[in-house]
Amino acid sequence: MEEDMIQNEIYWPLVAYAGIVLLVIGAIVVLSYLLGERHDDKATGEVFESGILPTGSARLQFSSHFYLIAMFFVIFDLETAFIVAWAIGYEEAGWPGFIGALIFVGILLVVLVYEWSTGALDYGPQGQKIIKALQKRRKQQKI
Amino acid sequence: MSSEDFRSLLPLLILAAASILLLVVIAVRRDHRLVYYLTVAALAAALAASLIPVEYSPRTASPLLVIDGFSLFYSALLNAAGLIVVVLSYTYLRPLREQMEEYYVLILLAVLGSVILAASRHFASFFLGLELLSVSLYTLVGYMVRSRDRSMEAGLKYLILAAAAAAFLLFGMALVFYEAGQLGFSGIGKYLAEAEALSLLIITGFGLIIIGIGFKLALAPFHMWAADVYEGAPAPVSALVATVSKGGVVAVLLRFYSEVDGYQFPVLALLFSIFAAASMLGGNLLALLQDNVKRILGYSSIAHLGYLIVAFLSGGAMAAGAATFYLVAYFITILVAFGVVAHLSSGEQEAEKLEDYRSLFWRRPGTAVVFTAALLSLAGIPLTAGFIGKFYIAAAGAQEGLWVLLFILAASSVIGLYYYLRIIMAMFASAKDPAQRIAPLFSGVGLLLVILTVALVWLGVFPQAMLDMINEWVAG
Amino acid sequence: MILVWLITILMGGGLLAWGAGFINRSWPRWIALAATLASFSLFLAFAFSVPGIGLGQPGDWLAEYNAPWIPAFGVQFHLAMDGLSLLLLGLTFITGVLAVLVSWTQIRERVGFYYFNLMWILAGIAGVFLALDLFLFYFFWEVMLVPMYFLIGIWGYENRIYAAYKFFLFTQASGLLMFLAILALYFIHGKTTGNFTFDYPELLGAELPTRTAFWLMLGFLAAFVVKLPAVPFHNWLPDAHTEAPTAGSVILAGLLLKTGAYGILRFVIPLFPEAARDFAPTAMALGVLSILYGAKLAFAQTDLKRLVAYTSVSHMGFVLLGAFAFNIIAYQGVVIQLLAHGISTGALFIIVGCIQERIHTRDIGQMGGFWQKMPGMGATALLFALASLGLPGLGNFVAEFLTLLGAWQASILWTALAALGLIFSAVYSLRIVQRVFHGAPMAKPNLPDLNVREWLIMAPMILLIFWLGLYPGPVLNSADAPLRNILAPFAKEESSIGIAPEEDGLSLSLQKPETEKRKVINSK
Repeated sequence: MEEDMIQNEIYWPLVAYAGIVLLVIGAIVVLSYLLGERHDDKATGEVFESGILPTGSARLQFSSHFYLIAMFFVIFDLETAFIVAWAIGYEEAGWPGFIGALIFVGILLVVLVYEWSTGALDYGPQGQKIIKALQKRRKQQKI
Repeated sequence: MSSEDFRSLLPLLILAAASILLLVVIAVRRDHRLVYYLTVAALAAALAASLIPVEYSPRTASPLLVIDGFSLFYSALLNAAGLIVVVLSYTYLRPLREQMEEYYVLILLAVLGSVILAASRHFASFFLGLELLSVSLYTLVGYMVRSRDRSMEAGLKYLILAAAAAAFLLFGMALVFYEAGQLGFSGIGKYLAEAEALSLLIITGFGLIIIGIGFKLALAPFHMWAADVYEGAPAPVSALVATVSKGGVVAVLLRFYSEVDGYQFPVLALLFSIFAAASMLGGNLLALLQDNVKRILGYSSIAHLGYLIVAFLSGGAMAAGAATFYLVAYFITILVAFGVVAHLSSGEQEAEKLEDYRSLFWRRPGTAVVFTAALLSLAGIPLTAGFIGKFYIAAAGAQEGLWVLLFILAASSVIGLYYYLRIIMAMFASAKDPAQRIAPLFSGVGLLLVILTVALVWLGVFPQAMLDMINEWVAG
Repeated sequence: MILVWLITILMGGGLLAWGAGFINRSWPRWIALAATLASFSLFLAFAFSVPGIGLGQPGDWLAEYNAPWIPAFGVQFHLAMDGLSLLLLGLTFITGVLAVLVSWTQIRERVGFYYFNLMWILAGIAGVFLALDLFLFYFFWEVMLVPMYFLIGIWGYENRIYAAYKFFLFTQASGLLMFLAILALYFIHGKTTGNFTFDYPELLGAELPTRTAFWLMLGFLAAFVVKLPAVPFHNWLPDAHTEAPTAGSVILAGLLLKTGAYGILRFVIPLFPEAARDFAPTAMALGVLSILYGAKLAFAQTDLKRLVAYTSVSHMGFVLLGAFAFNIIAYQGVVIQLLAHGISTGALFIIVGCIQERIHTRDIGQMGGFWQKMPGMGATALLFALASLGLPGLGNFVAEFLTLLGAWQASILWTALAALGLIFSAVYSLRIVQRVFHGAPMAKPNLPDLNVREWLIMAPMILLIFWLGLYPGPVLNSADAPLRNILAPFAKEESSIGIAPEEDGLSLSLQKPETEKRKVINSK
């Protein structure tokens, strides 16, 4: 019996927390249902742009290269962080640490070579591709 | 670090070095066949390297990793599974217009992550391995973006849910660390053994870790991603998700639980019981509604992990052995099943509809027999490894008196039978077109499937050797 | 070792037949026939070589084979044969040969795979009758299930898929309950004695708490009662019987149902004698219910095959009634009922199969007047219909008479009700003969009588049913010792209650078994 008491004592914050979560979620759902305005007039679904009709979609497409470069930045940035961490403990890490850092840099190098050769680092319009496409189009026009 | 340490870590080193090497090879020249052979060689070498160092195990190679019989056994198992997946992938990928080479690097990394999980004894390596595994799988699941519609959906779903799971896991680890001040499993175990009263935080922490693991194992109620991912991923990757990803997580769960003696918390046992019961019933019931073979296998994997948790929960002397044996049986079986799916798929179209399997027996008897054996093994019918596995689980459960779970296991097995039989019936249905095209199974993949099926039946009839090995390596 | 051979010949023959099916369409038939005949002759050679067979020697096993299989779990490959299994094995092999012959012309496609399944069913059944290790028993129990499923599902009639599912799910669900009960028994016995084993002779002495024993007995009984089948669980049987190909129905009726009865006699009662005694009134009630309800439903059918299927339910009710009467007379009746029902119902299914091959329907409404065109078949059908209603001189009469005689000692009420079943059986049996073979002849020009192959099938069945009816002595003697072993736990209590132990009640038996030779079953 006593054990049960202890257990209950331990768990009550958890139960209370779960209860509060449910309460808040319930309140959000119920209140917005009760208080929310519901009408479906002619212009309800239209985009409000200060009285000016919107032109075009708001969803612009970025070149996917943009994301790629951003990711490279994050990755290489993190790697710098690792190397800095090693540099701080340089004395303590000794030779094993040095070999470890060497392997790490080596892997980075391999990755760099790989990225380079697969063309991941080429940014902007690529001259060769454009020329190729142009030649292709000319051929088609001739035919 | 002695040379023995080095040798004991060899499986990990081989996998890591091979994936770097592959990147260099790809940078120099893209050659599907060359990359494939290198991958096979690397996995075979890692498999061999896992079998050697058992003499001087156990060995704690670093604070993060422990190489003992348990981790070596799992390492061998995971490498073997990875090897089979790679072989299946090669013929599957050849007709597709994707860039195939990176696929193999990712498989190597996934296997590496899983092996790290099996060897980890520390939260850091636990999380590291899990992330290595998951990140590779995100890409692999969505690998067929160009040729398949649902590939992207599956990949995204897996990414979001696995990331959420990782967040749960990390938060749980943080809570445990806050209380125990330890990250190593044994340190936490020591803290728990000495602590007089356990605080709420540490139990919450464990609960969160279990939820994270539940996500990875696709236990109900965290199973939502399973069917979609199994369906959307290429068949060999589905096999990878079912085997390598689950095997590693089960291994780390077994080790973590035994080191911290998680069985002392009745709350967690209750939590696991609920997960197991929900997975067994939910997985099998949901599979009833499906017409897609890959989805059926996905739901059935939920149920099978539920069975496995029953063995795990028993926590007695038999728990680790039963769970491991079941995993071995399940690995072989599900590899055969997805192998057949991959084998029947052609280029653009995957053989995933039940219709694709109609009267398969009269068109391709060999493939149909192999698939039937796999399905019967999933259903746990005697003469197959699945039967012995299920028996072992039931024995482990019965020993600890988990009768409620065992009844659910029996009931859900019967439900499960129904959909396995549906596939089997479809395969044996008589052919409508009189022209019976009999295609032989004699290809490389066919041979592999036959070998696996023989192993399946062999384990079902003579399981003693495998039981001895598991007892010696894993439980001992 | 011979016991292993009996099973492996069948399994090997099945594999060989399957392989040969890819080369030639008629080879599988001959291979299957050769395999069944080989194991049958091996069995006969063994049966005649055993000294004292037919002389009622009580006690030890007639043959035994024991080898370790999965030592990690305490599982052994333990086969053994006593008089009871001997009789049922004989029935298995005879029915096996007949089933091969019956399918000779009926099965035209996928012949190889068909005979593979047929052989493996027989092997599984033979294994069930021989297994003395509970794990091995469950193993064989399942082995016979999957091929039967294929047999119904692939070569059956119109509604075959549904029937196959139903059959499989019913038997599998009940089988899993038995499996859990086996596991529980294994652990309880292991924990109390420290010896974890599935070996039957070891487990016989397991001491169980009363409540546990009752639940475990129910687990075992679930599997057997579904297989038997007794009435609330009989649902799968009419479908499976009706949709199965003729050989499938013959094996279902002749053998598969017997495994349920065998299980009750071999496992339920010896392992849990007290729990079985507590449950006896319910079991007998179920038996009587099966007899009456089965007969009633049989009468109501318009599908000839379904009709015969329901007669099985009715006849197997006697088995359940007798098995829970706990005396030697009833038990002898049960054993004869198993054999006689196997033969008579098997023969009726074969006749239905022959009719269906000729007129392509099983609807009784479309039959009539066959006697004029097929006198041979008519006479045979009449004979087996009469056997089914229990005409003296034929096997079923002996069986039902002994069962009722024995059951009378246990419960007068249920026996009286069960006896009503005899009247009902007369009604439905004569209905078959009257509607199908008499009446207005059907306008179908070409109805050949039984051909040579069909006579070859019928002849041994006719002989056997007469033999069982006129000279059941050897059978009674062979079964006597094992049955007395099963009844050993009840013998004492009977005398203490005040009913005189029925030692001399069996005047039919050729030689009275000596009581002091009675031993509790042991494995040595």
